Formats: sequence, C-alpha cells, structure tokens
Amino acid sequence: MSTRSGQAQRPNGSTQGKICQFKLVLLGESAVGKSSLVLRFVKGQFHEYQESTIGAAFLTQTICLDDTTVKFEIWDTAGQERYHSLAPMYYRGAQAAIVVYDITNQDTFGRAKTWVKELQRQASPTIVIALAGNKQDLANKRMVEFEEAQTYAEENGLLFMETSAKTAMNVNDIFQAIAKKLPKNEQTAGQGSSGQGRRLAENDTGAKAAGNCCK
Amino acid sequence: MDEEYDAIVLGTGLKECILSGMLSVSGKKVLHVDRNKYYGGESASICPLEDLFTKFNAPNPDETYGRGRDWNVDLIPKFLMANGSLVKLLIHTGVTRYLEFKSVEGSYVYKGGKISKVPVDQKEALASDLMGMFEKRRFRNFLIYVQDFQDQDPRTWKDFDPNIANMQGLYDKFGLDRNTQDFTGHALALYRDDDYLNRPAIETINRIKLYSDSLARYGKSPYLYPMYGLGELPQGFARLSAIYGGTYMLDKAIDEIVFGEGGRVIGVRSGDEVAKCKQVFCDPSYVPDRVRKKGKVVRCICLMDHPIPNTKDALSTQIIIPQKQVNRNSDIYVSLVSHTHQVAAKGWFVAMVSTTVETENPEAEIKPGLDLLGPIRQKFVSVSDYYEPTDDGINSQLFISQSYDATSHFETTCQDVLDIFKRGTGEEFDFSKIKHELGDEEQ
Repeated sequence: MSTRSGQAQRPNGSTQGKICQFKLVLLGESAVGKSSLVLRFVKGQFHEYQESTIGAAFLTQTICLDDTTVKFEIWDTAGQERYHSLAPMYYRGAQAAIVVYDITNQDTFGRAKTWVKELQRQASPTIVIALAGNKQDLANKRMVEFEEAQTYAEENGLLFMETSAKTAMNVNDIFQAIAKKLPKNEQTAGQGSSGQGRRLAENDTGAKAAGNCCK
Repeated sequence: MDEEYDAIVLGTGLKECILSGMLSVSGKKVLHVDRNKYYGGESASICPLEDLFTKFNAPNPDETYGRGRDWNVDLIPKFLMANGSLVKLLIHTGVTRYLEFKSVEGSYVYKGGKISKVPVDQKEALASDLMGMFEKRRFRNFLIYVQDFQDQDPRTWKDFDPNIANMQGLYDKFGLDRNTQDFTGHALALYRDDDYLNRPAIETINRIKLYSDSLARYGKSPYLYPMYGLGELPQGFARLSAIYGGTYMLDKAIDEIVFGEGGRVIGVRSGDEVAKCKQVFCDPSYVPDRVRKKGKVVRCICLMDHPIPNTKDALSTQIIIPQKQVNRNSDIYVSLVSHTHQVAAKGWFVAMVSTTVETENPEAEIKPGLDLLGPIRQKFVSVSDYYEPTDDGINSQLFISQSYDATSHFETTCQDVLDIFKRGTGEEFDFSKIKHELGDEEQ
C-alpha cells in the first residue's frame, strides 16, 4: 500500500505533484463488455471470447492529468450482477462509476438506466457517473440511437461516450473524462473507500498512517 | 439454477461465505444461495436504522438519531484478534483489500464493581490497580515466563511440562491469587468459564500469546473492527468466491435439500428448479432436523449518545466481566463501537452486552453489563438458540456449521470453518494456492 499516499518522487528528487486514488465501479448487464473495457484500459488487450469475469476483479491503472496523477482502483462485478446479488460493499465509497450497455441490445440500455437509479440510491451523492455505449464497432447492428442515450445522459448529469473495447475507441477517453471531473482537493479526493480505516497487510507492525492520499 | 455444481452453499453468513470462497478458490464450481435479500444472515449488519427498529417491533426512530442510512448495526458482537485466524484468512485470501479496519481503543476487565484496563505487558502490570504490590511482581514474572515460552524448546518451560500439567498448576507455580487468575484466564486468555484450569497449561499459554502478539501488531488493544460493521466480512468473502467463478443468488427460497441413494445429498430444490450437486454446505437454519440445541445466548443492543463511562471516552471498547465477579458460570461481554466506524450517525454509539444464558430470566443476567453503560437511549434484547449439527456430513455430504457462539472474537468461527472445509474436501485449506495468483492483479 506504499503507493496510496504521499507525493511521487522524480528520479532527480523533485516532487511531481499529487497522487489521487479513486475507487471506480463498473455496472451493467452481463456480456455488455464491462471486463473487456477494463482489460483494454488497463492492459491494452482485447479477447473476442472473453470469459465471464474470473480471477481478476481488482485492477489499478493511473492517468496523468496536468500536475496530478489519478490512480483508479477498478472494481468489476465478478458476475454478482447476474442475479441481482451485488453487495452493498461494492458501491461503498465508490467515487466514480461506469455504467455500460451494449448498443446492439435495447434491453441492456434499459438495464443501464436501472443501474444509474441504483447508484443514485446506494452510492455517495457526489459520485461521478459515466455512461458507456459499448460495442461501437458493431454500429451496423445498432439498436440504441446515439442521440437517445446522449439525451438521457444529459438529463441525468452523466458523462456519455460510445466505446469499443475491441477497437479501443474512446476507452482511454472515457476514463480521462472521469478523471477530469473528479474532485482533487484534499477533503474529498482519493479517500479509497473510507479514508479513515487501515488496510491489513502481512507484515504490519506498529501504527500505520490511514489510507489517505492527497496530503 | 438448473445446472450441476460441485458444491451448493446455503446462507450467506460469515462462515458460509468463507467456505464458499475457499471452495471456489480450490477450483470447485459453487452455487451460493440465500433466502434473504441481503448478505450476511445472522452475521449481517442492519442498515438503515429503521430496519433495526422494525425488526424488534419498535416505533420508528426520531430525528435525533440522524440519517438511518448512516447506521450499520451488528446483530452479533465480535472483534477480530489482530494476530488471529480471521486476519490470517483475510490477508492470505486477499479479501483484506476490500476492507478497512480500526483498532479497538480500550480493553477493560471488571473487578469488584468497577473496570480497569487489562494489563498486558510488564510496564502495565506494574501500574495496574488490579493487583497489590507483591502480586504485581508475581504476575510480572508469569508474563515474562509466557513471553519467553517456546513450544519447541523445553528449556523455556522451566521444569514444568505444559503438555501434561494443568493451568492451575502453572498459576500455583507463580503463586498467583484468585483475582489475578480470573483476569488472566478471562480477559487475556479469553476463556468463558473455568474449565481450562484443569486442562493442559499449553492451551492457555498459547491463548495469552495470541493476545499479546495481537496487541503488538497495532497497539492500544489486540482487537480490530471493520469500517461499516461486521456485515462487510461475509460480503468480502462472497466477492472472493464470485471472482473465482462462484454464482450468487439472493432472495431465493430453498424448499428442499434432495438426498439420493445411501442418504447422500444430490441437489437442492427451489420451486420447480433443482440444482444438482455433490455437496451442500449450510448454516443450521436450513436444516432444522439435523441440528440440536446446545444452549442460548442473550444479546442486548444499546444505542447511546455517549461513550462508556470510565473508559477515557474511548470510541471503541471491550469490557469483560469474569463469571466469578458476578457469581456466574460464564462471562459477560460488553463491546462498544461508534460513529467513527461508520456504524452509527455522528455522535452515536452502539454497545452490545452478551452472555450465555444460565437462568429463566436472561435479561436480568446481563444487568451487570448494562449498569456500566450509563444512560441508554434504546435497548433491543434478543435471546437466540445456539445450534450444533448432529450430522458430520461424512456420509451425507451435507456439512452444517454451528451457530455463532457468545465468544467475543472470531477464533471459534474460523476453527469451525477450517474443520468443515477439511471434512468436506479431505484436506487442509492450502493458503498458498491463492496468494500467488492474486498478487498478479496489482499493477
């Protein structure tokens, strides 16, 4: 957890500005490409037949924004959305969310709206929500119009982009847009999930600083 | 649901969630079902506060309680030993990354109507008001003996074989009086009754070591408590299971556990659907005909707008009332958590007083604990039966956990889980299996 706080050091010793860490959660129907978006963003990979999420549901990736390094701690649903069994823990302390739907499937757009409502009910009132219309590479089979989604996003104060995990279109951009919109002042930014507790580690001894950043 | 699984787990209490996680990690195909809409079963934390009041048939809380959503009230009070088995499980499975903890600020013991800080090292022993001058020296010598004690090195045993001689013998060797024995056995070794005196001393020595090793980890007290309440623990392990392919269904009624030839479990039925499986793991509430009542536990949830008196305004505390101090056969536990753990609205505290029921009037039994708390705004008393399985699962392949007992920590919880895992899979849980893989996730 050494990366969680403090200022980054450049090799020559000068400080590089602050690092802010944010918890970002993914939501959306099964098979809309949530994991694919993350894999593209974090590892630059895409697998046509990505298996249902197994074994990698906690990834981190950093973005540099002017003098600030934004570190995303990305939570995937691990399939728990399938029978509506996502735990409250999932939303807890999330500062950003990407709600994903598949532009070739109208139902997934309807479900996306339900997830947005769920976020507004369960998550922090200051959460930054982005709507991603994924599988833009299949635009010839489009069932959800760009304008329809855009209007909905505007009405609800969401960021909106159509994305393609396959071609990488708008994938970095949507994370970048979220990073820009997140507050980076001391009080609100980068508190991990609560900012007050301590994470346990193998060789913990003695008191350790709280998991805050942006100090 | 109409699929075939290696194991079906019923109930999302902490034990079942740990088991589910361990099974998924070991490569088993797991279906995990709960009849409730929420995770945690008996070990859930209730949110919002209105739900807690409804649960106990009380009229809705007034506005002085703040926002209902800011409350997460545990139904079962427990703390984690900082160096105990649950923390080891959390770290080795990586579940710790989903959680944040705080150290419990104070650990107290009751003697002669008032409470004193539990002394754990030589310095504290000498400053403690629990003992007289000469007793302090004897206790200090005893602590040094325990600290230096090495399981594998008989030279540190000092002419005393702790594997054979009992704990009473060790107390006598150091000349400790009744009072000192009382807080050592109950507040350091965390025994609930005095049976341990007649068992080999090694058990107690190891328990005191666990206490002091836990204390050494984060200071203040040996206990940890998770932010947002204990209900976060089952959710964390459920997530682990899901990450390793476990399927989750909440709000799903279970109508029948289906048995086949030779009384072996073959599946679980919900309405018209049957999910096939080789094994079922569940809590006692899913199999009333295969468990027996072992006793009762009384628990009282107390909502207060102040800390416990005489604890230096600690925002979290544990107080142990050793049985003998109040003429009982089992200890009374008092625990306190507060708004600082995100389990109550600002300025609020949640205390819990609990013990094993010994009489027809359980509420009167916890009075010595309640009397320590000062004014209580709202009290919720519950008496629950404590069940243990009558079927060890070896033939039926149905593995049942025990109800949560009155202990103040999770050591027996983990013991039960590891024991069930071993019975179910025929092997000890291999921690090394996951640690390595999970390490790859971090960038």
